[in-house]
Amino acid sequence: MNLSKELSTRQESARHAAAKDYTEYFSFSRKSSTVVILIAILVVIGYFIWWLNIPFIEDIFTAGTITLIMALGFQLFMGNSGVLNWSYVGYVGIGAFASAIFSMTPSFKAMQIPTMYPFLVNLHLPFPVALVAGAMVAMIVAALVAWPLMRLSDAVGAITQFALLIVINVLLSQWSQITNGPRTFTLGGTRLTSLWVALGVAVLVIIIVYYFKESSLGLKLRATRDDRYAARSSGINFVAVRYYAYVVSAFIGGLAGGLYSHYILSITAASFYMGELFMILSMLVIGGSMSVSGAFFGTLFVTLMRQFLRQAENFLTRSGFEASGSTEIVVAVLMIIFLVWQADGITGGEELTWEKIKRRLPNGKKSREKVSKNVKQEEKA
Amino acid sequence: MESKSTFTVKGLSKSFAGLKAVDDVSLQLETGEILGLIGPNGSGKTTLINLMTGMLEKDSGQILIDNHNIGEMPAYRVPFYGLVRTYQTIRIFKNLSCLENAMIGALGVGTKHREAAQLAVALLEELGLGDKIELSAQSLTFRDQRLLEIARALAAKPKFMLLDEPAAGLNEEETDELLSLLKPMPHSKQVGIIIVEHDMRLIMNLCDRLHVLNYGRTIAEGKPEDVRNNPEVVKAYLGSAAHEQ
Repeated sequence: MNLSKELSTRQESARHAAAKDYTEYFSFSRKSSTVVILIAILVVIGYFIWWLNIPFIEDIFTAGTITLIMALGFQLFMGNSGVLNWSYVGYVGIGAFASAIFSMTPSFKAMQIPTMYPFLVNLHLPFPVALVAGAMVAMIVAALVAWPLMRLSDAVGAITQFALLIVINVLLSQWSQITNGPRTFTLGGTRLTSLWVALGVAVLVIIIVYYFKESSLGLKLRATRDDRYAARSSGINFVAVRYYAYVVSAFIGGLAGGLYSHYILSITAASFYMGELFMILSMLVIGGSMSVSGAFFGTLFVTLMRQFLRQAENFLTRSGFEASGSTEIVVAVLMIIFLVWQADGITGGEELTWEKIKRRLPNGKKSREKVSKNVKQEEKA
Repeated sequence: MESKSTFTVKGLSKSFAGLKAVDDVSLQLETGEILGLIGPNGSGKTTLINLMTGMLEKDSGQILIDNHNIGEMPAYRVPFYGLVRTYQTIRIFKNLSCLENAMIGALGVGTKHREAAQLAVALLEELGLGDKIELSAQSLTFRDQRLLEIARALAAKPKFMLLDEPAAGLNEEETDELLSLLKPMPHSKQVGIIIVEHDMRLIMNLCDRLHVLNYGRTIAEGKPEDVRNNPEVVKAYLGSAAHEQ
């Protein structure tokens, strides 16, 4: 009696010790701090720019934040599955058009797009609802087409995704009853995607993408990326885990598209094609596609660099030296350089955590100022 | 105490372009036992493991765990019924940490995230990888990668485990370590092990029974000492030159 009691308490304490051991590896500073750091950087920059109140810089930030959402959604599937999904920008386009159609007033739609289906003309939703509904449309399209494509990997997978992008692009540019065909689709009204709207959605998306990656589903998906066979013999159906990620990724892409159309206010199908895909792909490659931090810092880096290069390009062109297009060349060359010498990007495919920041400090315990300085250095890198 | 389970293979066959790689092989194993699967190169051992785990489609035959007909299931369902494996050419998730690698074994069979983490940490510590839990799998030494693969397999709490040449590439000392690690496992983990190996010292010291294949066929089975003296086994291993004449 006594012995069994002692045994059970010993087992209890052993279990307790084990539980304590494992939680150490999931502590805040090791896992969740990434989300807090990334959000803090974004909000601090956003607040500062809002405070500066210079429309030109505010526009760059808002557009950059929308691109960040796009890059994060792209990372969610590509970074975790290792499959290059060209079709992603197609879902951004679907979300952009769908949310615009939902939010525009019937009278403006009837005037702008006379060919539109009557039931779409009469549809009218408030902006936040239209945004989510537009993303849902992108998600439903992805859910309907994706299953048979998910079993394909590597080159074959990328080629089928590319073909799918062409299908979506042609539909967007030719279906004049919905998208006004190849003509420009003008939303009218005021710009609904403000700096704070874009920032709010970006914060939410950072949380979703990060915790997706760390979830059981995300971990299984990352396992299939590294070795499909070993994942299969560990009990993972790689078609299923890819499918869920693809659908979630399409939702985030659609959300980014909706924000984009309500920011730029006039869109065409061509806005959601190779150029856009190349931009977010370069962000992921340069930042490091395997981590959310990589997508974040890649976007930050490429956005700043593009702005700088664009100014330089304009300056050169003004002073008589033909330099248009050189921005794209520089970004492309940089992407090649990274793929050849630093394939995991500036983050090395790892997440930026509080734990790692602490470790990099010369002395274990340092004041907060030093830490924040370190964060800023990271962000500049 | 858990009741014993039985792993049964009946009349398993597989041909590649008319060549019989595995020809009418039958075997049986209970939890708590170690069965050595041996034979010369190209005798069909790895093919047999691929068939048993559903990684390859069989031509005919039956594969059962108790009453569950795992031979008719897709490969990713097989671990749910208690059969896991490791690979001859190490297959780990190189960009994941050791912890995440081991967790996959548990998550793959539907264990909750928290329990999977707890189990993975306990197993890694048990196998001596406790101080490498947060390192990425690709940064491990060859030996540690082998152990990590075993940890991942054990995290599924399997009834049966197929080890495909776990000592390949290990030196003598490391092989001894592996031996002392595997020896008590059938009882401590309530698992039945089928091990494919060329290292005869490991096989003879570890296995309760041996099953010998040559040209895809069973040529002998039984206790290690009996099998070692079986003339056909001797001929297959030593006299392949004589055999060819």
